[in-house]
Amino acid sequence: MRETFLHSYGLLLSATLAGAWRHAPPPVELSEKELTTVAPLLTGSGAAALGWWKLRRTDRRASPSARQLQHAYRFNTLQAALREREIERVFALLSDARIDAVLVKGWAAARLYPEQGLRPFGDMDVCVRPAQFASASRLVGAERRVDLHAGFEKSDERGFDETFERTETVEIGASRVRVLCAEDHLRLLSLHLLRHGAWRPLWLCDVAAAFENRARNFDWTRLLAGDRRRASWVVCALGLAHALVGMRVEDTPVAHEALRLPRWLVPEVLKQWQTPFPARQAPMRHRAPMRKYLRHPSGVFKDLRNRWPNPIEATVLMNASFNELPRLPFQLANCFARTARFISAAGAQTKL
Amino acid sequence: MEQRIRNDRPRARAGGLVVRELPEEVLVYDLERHRAICLNHTAALVWKHCDGETSVAEISRRLGAHLRLPVAEDVVWLALDQLARDHLLEGKIARPAAFSGISRRELMRRLGVAAAVALPLVTSVVAPTAAEAASCLPTGAACTAPAECCSGLCPGSPNGTCV
Repeated sequence: MRETFLHSYGLLLSATLAGAWRHAPPPVELSEKELTTVAPLLTGSGAAALGWWKLRRTDRRASPSARQLQHAYRFNTLQAALREREIERVFALLSDARIDAVLVKGWAAARLYPEQGLRPFGDMDVCVRPAQFASASRLVGAERRVDLHAGFEKSDERGFDETFERTETVEIGASRVRVLCAEDHLRLLSLHLLRHGAWRPLWLCDVAAAFENRARNFDWTRLLAGDRRRASWVVCALGLAHALVGMRVEDTPVAHEALRLPRWLVPEVLKQWQTPFPARQAPMRHRAPMRKYLRHPSGVFKDLRNRWPNPIEATVLMNASFNELPRLPFQLANCFARTARFISAAGAQTKL
Repeated sequence: MEQRIRNDRPRARAGGLVVRELPEEVLVYDLERHRAICLNHTAALVWKHCDGETSVAEISRRLGAHLRLPVAEDVVWLALDQLARDHLLEGKIARPAAFSGISRRELMRRLGVAAAVALPLVTSVVAPTAAEAASCLPTGAACTAPAECCSGLCPGSPNGTCV
């Protein structure tokens, strides 16, 4: 296993982050070379503080690479404190205007870690009732860090009211904010992870932190309710968290399904983790906007590789199942669908 | 007019700071200067005792009791120097002549390695690159579909701009 570490950044990340969201994470044994290799991957993907959390009680804690990770942990801790103040302010504005707002991902995910500095969050994802979106935009749309969403996760079919009814308020600083109930939060994190191709290891830790911190009365039916395909996606994400970062699924109602992942899935995520950096992901990795290729069509072939969807993204975007069937048809179908959308939009613009 | 405080009774600055206490250190963000600072355990203890009432001699005694080590006043003055440098004290402090000009290095040499680990240290916290975990494009970025934008809005897609 150790021989392969340096040949697979994904395996190295997987070993480093195993159990990292726990109060007492399992120890990680990394050679100096492995630590030097994994530190930039952790930092670049936003998991540096979790790396430090794993290393802080080991002999490697004083090494220069570990110190870099510790700096990130300190920085994230202060940043979380500052961001909390912004969240309080934005939610006070929305509350005064009687806008139903729910905080998702970011802070809502970070609050489930032993310390908030372990999980960086930059943007504030705020979901509002679709009918109130315009009012909310006028009120906080100009805020630099606010990402306002009309409704909840795009990959989910549940209506706003149904989800909002189950939300709960939690303490933040001196006030309270509304967050999703534990079941819906875990569902959203799982669907979000897959929709973005699972390229960021931190998202799998988010899923694991939400899963392992569930209350005794966790409603499994709620988690897996509705569309069966989406429910199977959620189980798939849980299975990935088990396989790659050691989340404990044993003795849960999803254990049987979560332990039976399609064979291509784990290797595919590990492949994504070879370069877990935002700049290497779509759309940042695209060489140019598609409209540029209307005048220079030859360029589109060079950029095709950058625009090729990863099999996980393609599965979700084509509303397909995670099974043993080859993914190529879904990737091709997704490419065709996007091309058709582009041509149709370009055609409409030309007519204008 | 610049405020001068009694040299032997330092007072910690309270306003314009965000403070987070961790098990082994204290992190401070200066909202006026936009600087992040880390105080090691000893520096944090000194800072905590800077209430404008406690003398340097008393701080050094309390520090010694906490660390279970004899702590010279030099150590407290070294911490105060660093805290003042990073604007974490009210007003200005000046060391009495008897304690002036002693650097951290000299103190380390004088106290020996064992005691040197307890020396105060105030350092800057630097931002790691790409520390944030955003998965979407910010306002103003070119987008091809609404799903790419943090706002979920990409007017003019597939050649649009996130709003």
